[in-house]
Amino acid sequence: MPAGLFIDSVVNSIVVGSLYALMAVGLTLTMAVMKLPNFAHAEYIAVGAYAALILSLSFAGNPVLVMVAAFIVAAVVALISNYLVFAPLTRRKSSMYILILASFAVGLIIRYLLFLVADTFDLFDKRIQVANEVVLQWGPLTLTNIFLWVVPISISLVILLSLLLNLTSLGRQMRAMADNATLAKVVGVPTKRVTNAAWILAGGLAGVGGALWGIYTFVDPMVGWLAILSVFAAVVLGGLTSFPGTIMGAYVVAFAENTLMQGLNHWFGLEFSFKPAVPFVIIIVVLLIRPQGLSGLFDRWRSPETMER
Amino acid sequence: MNIDIAATTVSLLTLFGIYAIVALSLNLQYGLGGIPNFGIALFVSIGAYTAGVTYTRLMPLLAGKDALNPCGATNMAQALALRTEILKTMPAAALGNFALTLVIAAVLGGLIGLLASFPALRLKEEWFLGLVLLVAAETARIFVRGFEPIICAHNGLSGIAPPLGWLPTAQVRQYAFLALILVILAVVYIYAERLARSPYGRVLKALRENNAVASGLGKPMARVRGQVMIIGSALAAIAGVLFVMNVGFASANDYAVPLTLDIWVMVVLGGLGNMRGALLGALIVTVLDRFTSIAAIQLNMLGLDLEFNYVRYILFGVILLLMLRYRPQGLLPEPIRTTKAGSAMAAIQARQQGNGQDVAGSEIGT
Repeated sequence: MPAGLFIDSVVNSIVVGSLYALMAVGLTLTMAVMKLPNFAHAEYIAVGAYAALILSLSFAGNPVLVMVAAFIVAAVVALISNYLVFAPLTRRKSSMYILILASFAVGLIIRYLLFLVADTFDLFDKRIQVANEVVLQWGPLTLTNIFLWVVPISISLVILLSLLLNLTSLGRQMRAMADNATLAKVVGVPTKRVTNAAWILAGGLAGVGGALWGIYTFVDPMVGWLAILSVFAAVVLGGLTSFPGTIMGAYVVAFAENTLMQGLNHWFGLEFSFKPAVPFVIIIVVLLIRPQGLSGLFDRWRSPETMER
Repeated sequence: MNIDIAATTVSLLTLFGIYAIVALSLNLQYGLGGIPNFGIALFVSIGAYTAGVTYTRLMPLLAGKDALNPCGATNMAQALALRTEILKTMPAAALGNFALTLVIAAVLGGLIGLLASFPALRLKEEWFLGLVLLVAAETARIFVRGFEPIICAHNGLSGIAPPLGWLPTAQVRQYAFLALILVILAVVYIYAERLARSPYGRVLKALRENNAVASGLGKPMARVRGQVMIIGSALAAIAGVLFVMNVGFASANDYAVPLTLDIWVMVVLGGLGNMRGALLGALIVTVLDRFTSIAAIQLNMLGLDLEFNYVRYILFGVILLLMLRYRPQGLLPEPIRTTKAGSAMAAIQARQQGNGQDVAGSEIGT
């Protein structure tokens, strides 16, 4: 395949993979701490994107402010959805299917509220405007400032989250709840506060992911829904509750969707209209053949000392 | 403000009948069997695609004509004219094709349901099956959208009308199609109701409530769940044939997650495990759907510029959440059924307790 196409697709994969990682760590957190496969996570992404879009259109604000706004708005929406829907249902000990169905319903409501907003203010297919300039041109490799926006922010946020989980007492409490919520409660972990913190982090990071997605491509009420199954594929590939696994998974999914797809198109004539099926195939194959995903690989790398913990 | 009451009722009932069949199939799978089928759209779509293929290949064959490639620009119009012509002038070919389509759709749907039940045994956690089915439905949609031979890829296939084109007027055709659907619905309903009351239905419920105990008692979980997947999927595929005929146009994008969610709303609203509940749920959702769309048109004519399609989805989401939160058993809860043996046992126990005797036999019932 031509070098230009190949390098473009690799750059693309890195950007998309970083975004997927950012969106997926929140979902992994929800899955680990709240034991909830939350399909409404898609809409936190879309809400973040719209918060960023509206702010940037009305104030042309500086990008940091836009990201912070996306984080806050999406985190608030996540907290509200927990407070109104998921917490009461969990208290009733509803089954997993009921929770999944409820998350679909929450997603549906938020998505079409966004549609109403977009319809009223004509905000379909809009981009969050950042001046597009080429910062590096080296042979067939072209990097724009958007690349320099999206990738470092995503990666540093993911690193920040892992530091928080591993080094702070809040992170320890979250991991305790992920291991055994009842036991955590018994030994005095303030489960309600920890859950709220997890929702804020999950929603907020998804929101920032959505805002960056809006800079990279476009903002539409469907952005979250279009990305969510790829994000789920990353989480599933990572073994559902493993953070390093999820991050690896995000890049694998992104590379499969872009570079691999480009290759399949070039050598086998597979049309790009099949591209959305790539994450689906990953989900099905992983769940059927290796439900622990990539996470088992990391366990083997761990030292025996940490294994015992 | 001029609404044709009779025509509205007929089209409403037609839609209700089709949705009710799908809702019954989900109620068998999830309500009784506890299988979280988040991929109903897939099984409905199988019926639609089958109809797409038979209308363009099998029906001309039955009518003794040459099948034309329905997709290319060259003879798309002729192929469409041929379909319409056969439906109009050859009742035998049209009806024969319809019957065969139903059979093929049911067999294909059942096969894919069987295929989908294999993961159920392998998957580590039960909700994975829901995710796998959801994703499988989306994969199939994307595949069909990009693969021409089935329904002409993303262009879709028009002219898939009910096999009643030979009847004189449009009104008669509509009534006849409605009657056909209601007959099929009645058969499916009686079948589902009998299945729910049968010993087999009790095995399903036992597996749903506690599969460890039921398997321990020797109930073959894998086989029973496989069977109920086959039955439910075949029914959904039959409904899919009727669905695509009602729309008249086969398009892969009709069979996406929103369709699945609509059916789930019906079943949760009506009552899980209650077959009459599924009918009630289907009726409420179709009526609500129709009234919101009529209201939308009226309001838009009054100059209120609000896209009511969006409001409809929000409304459905809210209804679903309220039901899950405040009445998870649905409007018509699952009936408590006692078998003859069970009531005899209860009578014996009551008598023994009444006599104040401590009999070893009373332990059986506890």
